[in-house]
Amino acid sequence: MREYPIEHNKIVSELLDGKFIISPSPLFYTIQELEDDYTEFFIKSFNYKLNLEAEFIYLSSDEVNEKRTRDFTLFLAILSRELDYSGKNFRDKIELGSFDINETEELLRQSSKWEILEKTTVSEFDKFIKTWRSKNLIEIDGNKFKFTKAVKLFFTFAMEIAEEKLKEKTNEEKANA
Amino acid sequence: MIKLSGKYILKFLQNHYEFVQDAFNYSKPDFIIDSNILEKLIEEYNISNDPKISVTKLIDVKFCRQLPTKDFKINRSYADFLQFLFDDFTLDLPQTLKERYKTIFELFTALKTEPKASKTIVLIQNIINIIDVFLNDIHRQTQRLLSDTESLKVNADEYSDLSKRLEKAVFWIDEYIEPLNKILEKGHPESFYSALVEIQKYTSEKQYIADSFKLKREYNKLYGSVVYARAELDHNLQKLTRELRPLLDRIKSDSIILSGFYHFVENVDYPENYIVPIPSPIKKTKGSTIFKEFYSEAEFFVDQFNYKTSAVYYEEQVEELEWLPDSTYFKEQLLKEDKVEDFYLWCFDALKKHTDEITLSKYFSLTNLLLEEDLIAEYKTDERITIDLKDASIKIPKVRVYERVSN
Repeated sequence: MREYPIEHNKIVSELLDGKFIISPSPLFYTIQELEDDYTEFFIKSFNYKLNLEAEFIYLSSDEVNEKRTRDFTLFLAILSRELDYSGKNFRDKIELGSFDINETEELLRQSSKWEILEKTTVSEFDKFIKTWRSKNLIEIDGNKFKFTKAVKLFFTFAMEIAEEKLKEKTNEEKANA
Repeated sequence: MIKLSGKYILKFLQNHYEFVQDAFNYSKPDFIIDSNILEKLIEEYNISNDPKISVTKLIDVKFCRQLPTKDFKINRSYADFLQFLFDDFTLDLPQTLKERYKTIFELFTALKTEPKASKTIVLIQNIINIIDVFLNDIHRQTQRLLSDTESLKVNADEYSDLSKRLEKAVFWIDEYIEPLNKILEKGHPESFYSALVEIQKYTSEKQYIADSFKLKREYNKLYGSVVYARAELDHNLQKLTRELRPLLDRIKSDSIILSGFYHFVENVDYPENYIVPIPSPIKKTKGSTIFKEFYSEAEFFVDQFNYKTSAVYYEEQVEELEWLPDSTYFKEQLLKEDKVEDFYLWCFDALKKHTDEITLSKYFSLTNLLLEEDLIAEYKTDERITIDLKDASIKIPKVRVYERVSN
């Protein structure tokens, strides 16, 4: 019988809860040390992919078509846009700053893109924030919230889209040249 | 005025400072101005200013000259001075700078082998000049890039368009910062910086061991210029690598994120256009004993029935029309027998020839023949026998039956 780390139960239950494990959590380093073992464990037991990024870890599945993840991406995209429009450095603010829950909801409601958000789970903002706290993507402190490092996953997603678009554009230009 | 004096030029600049600034701004970056624009500027300026200005006067003070295309070109000396005056420099491509500083290597090689003192002095003076010009170039570039980048960062109107901002940042990094870094790179043998190091090494000795006092003094000037140039370059390099580069990188990646998000939001209802699959962290699954894949497959399977209305099957109540024996046929059979000793047993046997399912109703419909008027029934004993029918067991007496003989 193989030996499991002391935190095994916690690691498995947190990840299966759909939570992100974020450095410097001790769980993060245990998984990092046993990366191969855990990768195999999750794929063989549940058919889930273990994603070990520089600062966070999570399970993903191609079979999951989660509308809530789409909603979170929309929320982040529109929040970034509004912060940029108001002359703030959106990335610093999102990665390092904290947000007043009511003010943020107000900021989004005044956005011309609210018509998109109001059709999603973002429309019940308090509930939305709490849902994502349970996944460790957001921390709540009183009437304020902060994003955890896992938010970078969605920035990477946006960068990949933009880079693909740039490639498309370059190819089109080459083709037209 | 026969000879143009410096004082006159300075007075001209002072008197018409606003006009000169306007003309300078319109002429950037090549310092060429359309003749119509220049005339319009003069006209507007003359409405509210005295002394007046004219094209002839501008040409007199050598502010500009007319090109064959009728455009006006601002004199290079003015252009340089005005850039300094308004702290507004144009950007030279680093290739241009590179060509300029390469002459330093040539002059320095010549200096090392020059036997004549008089030529040595001229070479030294030239090197000092080129270093100076080059330092000035680098300083201009850095200032210009810094101020432009700052305005990019605060999203000045001009750059509010996301893709323009991105394009600009990428262009500056690729076309200016990177090549500038190469020119100034400390470790690179062909960089401007290593040329300075070489010259410094050479002159630090020469300023003491040169043949004459005059030569020593010249080498000392060159040494001083080079040491100063190195310090200046370090300062500029620091601005480039510590401030400008990270700032531009930041603008670049921020704009990339925003434009990626923009594409996503625009296509949110068309996942096939996402290009990159959206992150797919799992849902909470703890507590479920069902393997996820099985669950989705089962759900899919069950789903396909959801749109159909449920079908209900009723068991059909078929009313059984029981076959009953044809009494006429059996009466004929009975009469053929002439005489039957045990009527009830005969009925059973007769039915048995036609069916195994002898029910009470079939049996009685046949035994009813007993009631026919043309038949006579005789009970001989009280003896009873048991007959097992399909749905009952009955005890029956032994009855003799025969045909009544008609009178």
